[in-house]
Amino acid sequence: MTSTSTRDLVSQPYKYGFVTDIETDKIEKGLSEEVVRLISSKKDEPEFLLNFRLKAFRHWLTLEEPDWAALGYEAIDYQNIIYYAAPKQQAKKASLDEVDPKLLETFEKLGIPLSEQKRLSNVAVDAVFDSVSIATTYREKLAEHGVVFCSFTEAVKDHPELIERYLGSVVSSNDNYFAALNSAVFSDGSFVFIPKGVECPMELSTYFRINSGDTGQFERTLIVAEEGASVSYLEGCTAPMFDTNQLHAAVVELVVLDDASIKYSTVQNWYAGDENGVGGIYNFVTKRGQCRGARSRISWTQVETGSAITWKYPSCVLQGADSVGEFYSVALTNNCQQADTGTKMIHIGPRTRSTIVSKGISAGRSSNSYRGLVQIGPKAKGARNYSQCDSMLIGDQAAANTYPYIRSQQPQAAIEHEASTCRISEDQLFYLQSRGIGFEEAVSMMVSGFCRDVFNQLPMEFAAEADKLLALKLEGSVG
Amino acid sequence: MIRPDAELLLDITDLHASVEDQPILKGVNLQVRSGEIHAVMGRNGSGKSTLSKVLAGHPAYRVTSGTVLYRGVNLFELEAEERARLGVFLGFQYPVEIPGVSNLEFLRVATNARRLKRNLEELDTFDFEDHVQERLKVVQMDPAFLERSVNEGFSGGEKKRNEILQMALLEPVVAILDETDSGLDIDALRIVAGGVNQLANADNATLLITHYQRLLDEITPDYVHVMASGRILRTGGRELALELEQTGYDWVDKELAAQGVA
Amino acid sequence: MAVSTSEHVLAPVQQRGQVALSRLGLPTRKDEAWRLTNLSRLEAVARMPISNVATASDAPPRMDGVVRLVLDGVNDPLEGVTLPEGLTPLEPKELELALGHSLDRCGWSDDWLIEFNHASAHQLLALRVRGTVPPLELVVAAASGLIATRVLLVVEEKAQLELLQVFSGRGEAAHSHLLEVHLGQEAQMNHGVLACADGLASLFAQLAVEQEPRSAYSLTSVVQGWSLGRIEPRVVQVDGQASTTLKGLAVADVEQQLAVHTSMCFEGPDGELDQLQKCLAAGRSHTIFNGAINVPRKAQRTNAAQLSRNLLLSDRARVDTKPELEIVADDVRCAHGATVSQLQEDELFYLRSRGIGASDAAVLLLRGACQEVVDLLPTHATAWRPLERVLEGLAS
Repeated sequence: MTSTSTRDLVSQPYKYGFVTDIETDKIEKGLSEEVVRLISSKKDEPEFLLNFRLKAFRHWLTLEEPDWAALGYEAIDYQNIIYYAAPKQQAKKASLDEVDPKLLETFEKLGIPLSEQKRLSNVAVDAVFDSVSIATTYREKLAEHGVVFCSFTEAVKDHPELIERYLGSVVSSNDNYFAALNSAVFSDGSFVFIPKGVECPMELSTYFRINSGDTGQFERTLIVAEEGASVSYLEGCTAPMFDTNQLHAAVVELVVLDDASIKYSTVQNWYAGDENGVGGIYNFVTKRGQCRGARSRISWTQVETGSAITWKYPSCVLQGADSVGEFYSVALTNNCQQADTGTKMIHIGPRTRSTIVSKGISAGRSSNSYRGLVQIGPKAKGARNYSQCDSMLIGDQAAANTYPYIRSQQPQAAIEHEASTCRISEDQLFYLQSRGIGFEEAVSMMVSGFCRDVFNQLPMEFAAEADKLLALKLEGSVG
Repeated sequence: MIRPDAELLLDITDLHASVEDQPILKGVNLQVRSGEIHAVMGRNGSGKSTLSKVLAGHPAYRVTSGTVLYRGVNLFELEAEERARLGVFLGFQYPVEIPGVSNLEFLRVATNARRLKRNLEELDTFDFEDHVQERLKVVQMDPAFLERSVNEGFSGGEKKRNEILQMALLEPVVAILDETDSGLDIDALRIVAGGVNQLANADNATLLITHYQRLLDEITPDYVHVMASGRILRTGGRELALELEQTGYDWVDKELAAQGVA
Repeated sequence: MAVSTSEHVLAPVQQRGQVALSRLGLPTRKDEAWRLTNLSRLEAVARMPISNVATASDAPPRMDGVVRLVLDGVNDPLEGVTLPEGLTPLEPKELELALGHSLDRCGWSDDWLIEFNHASAHQLLALRVRGTVPPLELVVAAASGLIATRVLLVVEEKAQLELLQVFSGRGEAAHSHLLEVHLGQEAQMNHGVLACADGLASLFAQLAVEQEPRSAYSLTSVVQGWSLGRIEPRVVQVDGQASTTLKGLAVADVEQQLAVHTSMCFEGPDGELDQLQKCLAAGRSHTIFNGAINVPRKAQRTNAAQLSRNLLLSDRARVDTKPELEIVADDVRCAHGATVSQLQEDELFYLRSRGIGASDAAVLLLRGACQEVVDLLPTHATAWRPLERVLEGLAS
């Protein structure tokens, strides 16, 4: 009876797979110092930024691509990628009315209406198409509160002192292979600055869209929350279906000062490739936040459902005394997807606390790994960590791996890690079915029950969406 | 309550079923009409729990021959959820725990699936809360249980009450209660039995599967069937249950031996 | 006889090991398995001359009914010993076939420590176990230079063995020990390893255990006081359906570094694992636990539980723990947990509120923490006063 069932359920078509036909300004394929200079000059950047890029590029040349994650993929030819592509509309438009209607239409199709009439009521959106930001909504309203929310390019022009001060201060340009690559060639991204004492009046959101088939996407997000400030930020991602792989190597840096907090949520639904593993995004992302101030707080929530390969470990460096780091993650892999994700909680300051809740769901022939590090330094007296890593296996061909590293050098710290593995049992399914609940709904109820601790952390508007996305992704895979 | 003109709800004819290729049911015949309460008794392994699982459509049980008509419809053509929506209810002997799934949400989805089938309006979250609060009284259950995950961390008695609460919400036509009395102390047993009595009426029927007579002190059956070796060996009124209480099941072996089946 | 046989068998192994060692070179920190190791101490052991004098035994009197065999690096361990019924040395032909088999089954190749033992081992004991035999005790002491030993046990179908291995070390000395165990169907083995040293000597002990269906293997390891200690039990259930229990205690103080690397692989369905590793780090010591569990697709209905509990007793000590679970089967129960903390405040307070002084309370709690594992050693281990030895090592 269960044979119809979960397996077919999972393989729902990817509904964001369309390509927008729009003229773009692309540079030649390949990567060299000239390309780095070209990107910088196209964006008319100040010298400090060009130097930042060049330093990163020179360092990147000395690095080897990491191979330690439990991932297998064909070698990436870095000379066969276009490092800059932008829709042909020179200079950012003053008003949305001037934005190419095709672009507005694209985002509307993705469920992200940008026009004044239709935009989401309490969410400001920065829409990034291929490498560049095309529109940011509610900027004026946010400006009234002193909040800066704009594309990275604009931030470089309007707030160079902030960029120079914070860029690379959390993830240095030589941090790792993909961060170095991003630092050399990043084209745009989002910048958020919440000044002292300001509670950001609305949710901020960036929506990333890869459109070109041969373009790498390298965006950079920087969020700074000054003393006592707070913000909730959400990013969403989709890409068209191509049978080639596209590289996405982003860097996100968060800086939080005394008593400030950043809540960063991600719903990642890049194209995952087809059921045979052809195509899909390589998602190699470096995300790190630094709790610099006392009592500061960073919370990462991620729902990872897309990409052929995901390699990301949103991390918290807990420097300030009593600072708090949180990581809530749902990673769903199906078909041939591979995900190697987790977090690092680096406890430096006294009484720092961290919580990790990771839920991995593996279906099909996919592989889903949790890799985490909890490190308690010698000065982190009274530090606490609690981690919980649960895996749900659907079918007997999917892999669930758990690699939690723990290191402590502080006796007055307490670390607790728990992990379990489960599956959707026939008895549980039958119980729900015997109460009149259909098979698909029963599976989806159990999966979302499994993920509940994480979904509860998402901003309200997106929790229901994440739930639906998961159900959709899983359709057909239990059985 | 026996009425000859009552609707024939469940018509089981020569039912054979196996688990992992092991034949368990070997020709069960049973008719249940509306308004009736039936008790199916028998020792462990006699096939009574298998009968309940087969009727509810558990995937591990395979029907090898025979028919079951539920209100004239072939039951075996219906998926488990479809049977439930049409009014067949199984009260589990061991209700499973489903971590993470909210009990309240589960009850609401199930109730609405059944209501939809009965052409009743679906209940939204608020209406359902009122509805369920009222039904909680049937089993004297603490509303706090609604906030927890389905059966997770419930005691044996709490799980059984949760089963009867589901029955109160789904308002089944045929309720099959598998060893509902097992593991209950006498107070819990009275509460659960009280719930069953409140819910029984002239339009539905109850099939009590039990090992002991003590449940039948609380719920008076119209018929008592004794199962052995996968068949109904003897049928009688409630006095048969009392007889079993006194003489035990030893006579069953003799009777089976006489029939050459043991 | 065992010695002459072993010389004959070990000579080609030594040659292969030396070739492999020169090919592999010394481990580096880039290698994940060695990332945390104090490599200068490893190098010191690698350069150590092979001990050529029989070390005087510091063993307590043998308990009645216990068969004690001493591997001193020089003398035949079986000389002058009458083996009880059921225990027989392996014939040379059998030995050639069996040696290295369990290593292969555990997938242990290209490993520096294994090749180091191959290259250095100069004493081999190979026994067959039939039926139920009296408790066996294998004693190895290191007092000067490297003592490299190798043991092979073939525990036949339905046989039952209780084995206690005792390693001791004094001064500039080191052990390289390689044990292979093959457990036949329905065989049972209760295995204790008691390894205590003075803080200067080093220990490498690699244990490769191969379990046939319905066998039961239970290992209790108690390791304390090695400058550089690394114990590595690797167990493979070749067709699943077996039960494995791994209980370990590692106690480190001053500058010691103790590492426990376990690996459990289920190559068939219905296997069970119950694992607990406790590590106590005091002084400026460093304990490392690495626990791999592998549940491939064919290992349905595996039930595995692993717990890593660590006590960090000083602010200059360090604890690393890294469970590694790899699962490709959906109908399994696999739970693991890890904790790192100091002694529990509330437990200390409870004892103090009953009038017990703070330091006495701490000693009591530490004793309790160790006892949970020590008590699981084979009963005849009591002659070695294991709990006292372990706690003496924590005197600081």
